[in-house]
Amino acid sequence: MPRWITTAAAITALGVIAPAVQAEPLKIAIIESLSGPQTSTGRLIATAAEYVIDQTNANGGFNGEPIQVKEYDNAGDTSGAATKFREAAADGAHVIIQGASSAIGGQVTEDVRKHNIRNPDNPIIYINVGAEAMELRGKKCHFHAFHFTTTAPYRTVPLMQVMSEQGDLGKRVYSINQNYSWGRDMEAAIVDNADRFDYQVVDKVLHEVNRIQDFSPFVARIKSENPDSVITGNWSNDLLLLMKAVGDANLDITFGTIFMDQPGNVANAGDVAEGHYVAHSSNIELLDEAGTEAYKKATGHYPVFIEPTTLNGVGLFAEALKKVNFDGGDIDVNEIALAMENTTFDNGLGGMHVRKADHQAVIPIVVSQVASGVKYPVDGTELGFKPIKTVAGEDAIYPAQDSCRMRRPK
Amino acid sequence: MEFLIVSTLNGVIYGMLLFMVSAGLTLIFGMMGVLNFAHASFYMLGAYFAYTLSGLFNFWVGLIVAPLLVAIIGMFIERYMLRRVHAHGHAHELLLTFGLVFIFEELIKLFYGDFPVNYQRPDYLNFAIFNLFGTDYPFYRVFIGLVALLMFIVLFVLLTRTRVGMVVRAAERLPDTARALGHNVPMVFLGVFGAGAALAGLSGAVAGAFFPTNPNMALELGVIVFVVVVVGGLGSLAGSLIASLLIGVFSSFAVGLDWSLASLFSLIGLGDWANSLGGLVTMPLSSISATVPFLLMLIVLLVRPAGLMGSKN
Repeated sequence: MPRWITTAAAITALGVIAPAVQAEPLKIAIIESLSGPQTSTGRLIATAAEYVIDQTNANGGFNGEPIQVKEYDNAGDTSGAATKFREAAADGAHVIIQGASSAIGGQVTEDVRKHNIRNPDNPIIYINVGAEAMELRGKKCHFHAFHFTTTAPYRTVPLMQVMSEQGDLGKRVYSINQNYSWGRDMEAAIVDNADRFDYQVVDKVLHEVNRIQDFSPFVARIKSENPDSVITGNWSNDLLLLMKAVGDANLDITFGTIFMDQPGNVANAGDVAEGHYVAHSSNIELLDEAGTEAYKKATGHYPVFIEPTTLNGVGLFAEALKKVNFDGGDIDVNEIALAMENTTFDNGLGGMHVRKADHQAVIPIVVSQVASGVKYPVDGTELGFKPIKTVAGEDAIYPAQDSCRMRRPK
Repeated sequence: MEFLIVSTLNGVIYGMLLFMVSAGLTLIFGMMGVLNFAHASFYMLGAYFAYTLSGLFNFWVGLIVAPLLVAIIGMFIERYMLRRVHAHGHAHELLLTFGLVFIFEELIKLFYGDFPVNYQRPDYLNFAIFNLFGTDYPFYRVFIGLVALLMFIVLFVLLTRTRVGMVVRAAERLPDTARALGHNVPMVFLGVFGAGAALAGLSGAVAGAFFPTNPNMALELGVIVFVVVVVGGLGSLAGSLIASLLIGVFSSFAVGLDWSLASLFSLIGLGDWANSLGGLVTMPLSSISATVPFLLMLIVLLVRPAGLMGSKN
């Protein structure tokens, strides 16, 4: 018998025997933008996700083994994500965590869906902690994808509601957003809620994503419409430069934003930021001090921006793990997914759970205002995010989309 | 009228900023023929160095010392990296500097973190210089324009009116002859590269305090400075200035004008039909204002392949 056959036989035999000897460890792959322009978001997501898993491991792990976490750098683009997904699948990942960029989210969720069709006995769960495109919960929804972040209408409704209650929304609302799926979702949400909160959309602009250095022409356009407030889903530079340009022109306009709490924003915008609003899925000011201090001790900073969302999402997942027990045997991913559907997790602001129809998490939304005199000032300034009102998830959430047709495992 | 004046002013100032960043590239690209893809990285380094120095000393120390530090880095790259690959042609220089872009970006993230740093102009520069139709116009924008103008004048005089400029131009045009006449050509190239890097550093130090200083700032300007240099004509300072201003003003006007292909059709009575098509036809110009420079580059290259002021025209 040629030697290679013996070797192959030996390897096969080992492969068959191994699980019986040792419990199967749960493997989690974090496929994130850990280099390139989106690092700032990707790194935070990885940090927060690993924090939750570390806690679970400190309490004995899962299935008698510590949970294994591995980071995969998708370098900020979809082709990188596709390559890393294949790598993770080959490494035997049971769960994939991703969040920075809806485009990459779209790639990952489709890859997961196709993988699960081809390998029904060996499926993978996708935990989305940051991709906000409506499409992921609509046309692209599937049983193994869970969305723990919000979407444009989910955040816009509470934002408008609170700004209007505070008398800062006004009658003339200006919509300026980025020209891609997210910005278009935002614009649609702003237009759709005009009657409900009694305002008029005086002008709506879509501009390119993070390519504009000089926003002063946009400010000239905003000024000519004389709005009371500007509602924008812009993030990163597009938000920062817009706010700075409006501040430099000394226009008295209130901003309603979604991503104001990105680190660096408040410091760079300076006093201009004061009084503006942000709608986010958590606010550190409302959280239990012991939890935030423990987080700071482990990671070196308080949970900010996308970290609370990640902590909540992965937290619910970890909670669901407590409900399943494989007695050290093979891991059944479908069972974990079903447990996630039936888990309620206390995120410090109230209970959160996953809606069965499209696997969108029902999370309360906090609307905050940039103000001084807060417990946790940000970016080394006096300013921080003062919570104005928490809107319950059920009141804020959008109806499940008809385009989502989820096929559940038998 | 208000639209016309405000848009022109905004466009001119933005154009001056573009010129400021691309002036150094014009020098390096035009005088040495080196395709320095990492030029915008020098711009970023300038901003970060100035941020650190302004924290340690003050804003003006940052403004003066940061460009010098960037010049030293630039000269190091020229002497120990670019010179080695120069003999292998443009492709190698391009690849080398392309690699440097990523290295600088990740290095900056290692030292300064992933988020924008808080690099601010001093408070006494933070005032409105005049009020235009009810809108305050920040002094610092004018300051950026003035620095760029000063840069242009100094460079122009240096290159065309002084002996140094003559040697530099000779070293570029006929290196062998210049060497035969006793000039140290490699030394000249080293100096030119350092000066080009310093200019990028200076523009970073000035503009970083106005726009956010973040690890992506090189990426954001990296391509557009090449567009400026190509549109202006390789190596032509005046060409770069004109190209920068054109790009600035066109981008500024594009934002304010809601023109689309559909509005063009409505001129000949086909407006309703065009609007019903939707998609690209109804896309307003403001949504694609950042593509205006590339459109301009396309047209210029078709009409004048060597650029607006290129010597080969």
